[in-house]
Amino acid sequence: MLKIFLWLRYLRKRRVVLLSIAAVALSTALLIVVASLFNGFINAYEQSAVDGMGDVVLSPGRNFAGYAELEKRLEEIKSVEAATATLSAQGLLHLGRGNVRAVEIWGIEPAKFGKVTAFERSLLKGGAKKVPDTFSAGYVGIGVLAEPNEQTDEYDVNNAERMIGQQFVITTGSTSLTTGGSTAVEKDGGKKFRRKTIQFTMADAVFTGIYYFDSRLVYLPIEQLSRTIFPDSQEPVAGRIQIKLRKGADAELAIAEIRGVWKIFASEKLGWEDYQIQSTITETSRQMQSRFVAEIRKQMGVLLLIFGVVSLSAVLLIFCIFYMIVETRRKDIAIMKSCGADSGSIAMIFVGFGAFVGTLGTLLGTAAGYIVTKNINEVEGWIRVAFGLKLWKASVYMFSKIPSEVYWQAVWWIVLSAILGAAIGAVIPALSAALTRPVKVLRYE
Amino acid sequence: MPRESMYKLILAFRYLYRRRISYLALAAVALCVFIVVVVMTVMDGLVGDFKEKNHNYTGDCVVGTESLVGFSYYEDFAKIAEKANYVEAVTPVIKSYALVGVEGSGHSVGVEMLGIDAAGLSRVTGFGRTLHYHKNDPAKAFNIKSDANLPGFVIGADLWSMRDEKGEYYHTPNPEATALSVTCFPLTAKGALAKAGTDVVNTKTFYFSDCSKSGLARVDGSIIYLPFDEAQVLCGMTEPAKRASWIHIKFKQGTNIEEGCQKVREMWGKFYDEHKGKDNTELLSQVSVRSWKEHRRESIAGMEKEQAMLMMMFGLVGLTTVFIVYVVFYMIISHKTKDIGILKSIGASCGDVVVLFLGFAAGLGVAGSAVGVAGGILFLRNINRIEGWLFEWFGFQLWDRTIYAIGEIPHRLDLTMLAVVTGCAVLACLVGAVLPSVGAARARPADVLQVSQL
Repeated sequence: MLKIFLWLRYLRKRRVVLLSIAAVALSTALLIVVASLFNGFINAYEQSAVDGMGDVVLSPGRNFAGYAELEKRLEEIKSVEAATATLSAQGLLHLGRGNVRAVEIWGIEPAKFGKVTAFERSLLKGGAKKVPDTFSAGYVGIGVLAEPNEQTDEYDVNNAERMIGQQFVITTGSTSLTTGGSTAVEKDGGKKFRRKTIQFTMADAVFTGIYYFDSRLVYLPIEQLSRTIFPDSQEPVAGRIQIKLRKGADAELAIAEIRGVWKIFASEKLGWEDYQIQSTITETSRQMQSRFVAEIRKQMGVLLLIFGVVSLSAVLLIFCIFYMIVETRRKDIAIMKSCGADSGSIAMIFVGFGAFVGTLGTLLGTAAGYIVTKNINEVEGWIRVAFGLKLWKASVYMFSKIPSEVYWQAVWWIVLSAILGAAIGAVIPALSAALTRPVKVLRYE
Repeated sequence: MPRESMYKLILAFRYLYRRRISYLALAAVALCVFIVVVVMTVMDGLVGDFKEKNHNYTGDCVVGTESLVGFSYYEDFAKIAEKANYVEAVTPVIKSYALVGVEGSGHSVGVEMLGIDAAGLSRVTGFGRTLHYHKNDPAKAFNIKSDANLPGFVIGADLWSMRDEKGEYYHTPNPEATALSVTCFPLTAKGALAKAGTDVVNTKTFYFSDCSKSGLARVDGSIIYLPFDEAQVLCGMTEPAKRASWIHIKFKQGTNIEEGCQKVREMWGKFYDEHKGKDNTELLSQVSVRSWKEHRRESIAGMEKEQAMLMMMFGLVGLTTVFIVYVVFYMIISHKTKDIGILKSIGASCGDVVVLFLGFAAGLGVAGSAVGVAGGILFLRNINRIEGWLFEWFGFQLWDRTIYAIGEIPHRLDLTMLAVVTGCAVLACLVGAVLPSVGAARARPADVLQVSQL
């Protein structure tokens, strides 16, 4: 009780202690905001892969036919909720007068693709299920249609909606062993690059909030795309299978089962050799991003280390303040010792007070960090309005919104380190207090 | 310094030397200065390097339009611009998008296509220096050793090969003339499809002649360069009048870029007025004149903002240093009330006392900054060696060079930045010391020199 009484008394009477609380709060808040923003970015990046690709992607490295049966077999696996085939190609989209964009074309089965990915949620008008897969309709990323506003970084949704129903031309190509057709390459023999143009009606605009998908992708029905770029193929072909797992499914186990199904399918139905089957890559969409994620995590670590080192000055501040308190409270300490308090308990008063100051500082800092992180988009908006400075742009940072989730795992570490740091800052002054000799301090002269 | 003021200097040094608690303030200042110098030097280097690469890529000034249709009469304007006494060189460029496919590989990719005159662009920009095989003779950038008659292409290094862990690309000594099929939408002067109703697109095969490494990831990963005339035909920019997208201009040495751009703006205004009403001049109204910074603003702004945000965060953390200085001075002054009382009783004014302690604070700031700057310089001089050692032993790189187009970690010191950081550190010390100094100045000798206080 005496300790708590003294802590509160020092806190009330020695206003300078508030400075150390402020310093701890400032450092804590800053570290929490930095860690949360980085972690939010990483999570959003990984989630964007799941939203765009599904949980697991099976990429054989070459196109294959009979994907409908493979989808059926995969969906029979307990841990698989849905599977859908996709085919991708590069192309040029002519949007109107003087407006040509380089795009990536994804051949999809809209309804099934909506089950595996967040595609349906991303449609401006909604209703991918209503559109038959074979219909000559396409979905265009909102950023393909027009760049976002330079000031607000927001897309003109009304303009995108007005373009729904309009016809566009896309040109793409593939290589084929066959000759003839509309090939423009004059070289003889071997594979030839074949140019193809497709006219389609825009069924809807896609706004995922992920810059790459929004600014690069055009979605067309897989059958139509396959027929156009591979006219010699008897059946429509796919380039990969995107899979959604059931909730709570073990990803590693599911991948093993998917590989098993693929192996049987590829050897029985496609007649592929073992080495071709082995070269198929089956991995979670999170694993696909792991190299880049590791790099961002490393940068987060470096930045936290830098701010952590700078935050050491808060420890120095606590040391100074506590040293001052001890120097000015020698008589109190001497009286306590003369009343029977041992050196250990005197030291603990100050170390405990350090931890107490650290706890108060981290509480304030955590609250401030939480509020700033949760409202980071509003804060960024205020900065834009007040200073005309647009700090966050989807074209630079991939996402339309700044991720605003607090990284609690880091918060605990930061809070613990801050409290420990504050206690460490108080150790030397505490030792100095413990070494006080009442007989010297309480002499009359 | 007048002799009667010497005591301020002596006392300031004495407090700094004798009061060990002031070492803590010094350490805090040194720590902050060290971190800020290191981080800002690296960040400054990255931003500066990025800007320089953008400048090299663009030239000094750009006249043109973002529309893929381009604008006509560019040759006439280029001739006029070339004659200006402040212009060193001028070159037209065509910009469009193309679908390129490597024959036999099964891959095709959508890229940005630039139609250039290699010799002209090398005079205006740093294009020639970015080439691998034709660095010494950029005019022949599109020439293919094996067959001079084949049309060549230059491609961004990231589109052609992978970076290794040191950020270097692999190049064979004698490259194969790999064929690349390039497809474009030819557009009319009004922006409609030029071949609507027929084959819609133009396609031609080009052969690898060189690759370009500008050091800008977005450029090296998305651009293919074709001979100007070929690109003009592919994009349908030959009819009814020849069109180009941009005219890049390099100013003579010593010309201020903003002033030069302003002169070009005036020149363009005059040119526009003279040509208004002629055939095919509708597109001229969309043409703008920009400096290289304005032209590449979208790329540069992001990095500049990050640098500003980092500085702001360091500013916030630096507040702690102000607090430390405040506490240290508060302590020193509370122990030196008798000195202050004696000084005032022998004639020192309140101002003298304030100046004494502020001088002490400034000295502390200068000493702390000196230690921090020295540590920073030492660290920066060895930063690449340290990274190399970390990579060798622990596989740690500050930036994975296979992902980022960054070479060495920048470590060139900017004296202005050092001066600003030192100034800020001294200012922070002065701010921290103001309140305790004023408190000291207000001490009354009659109070602090009472027998009961001694």
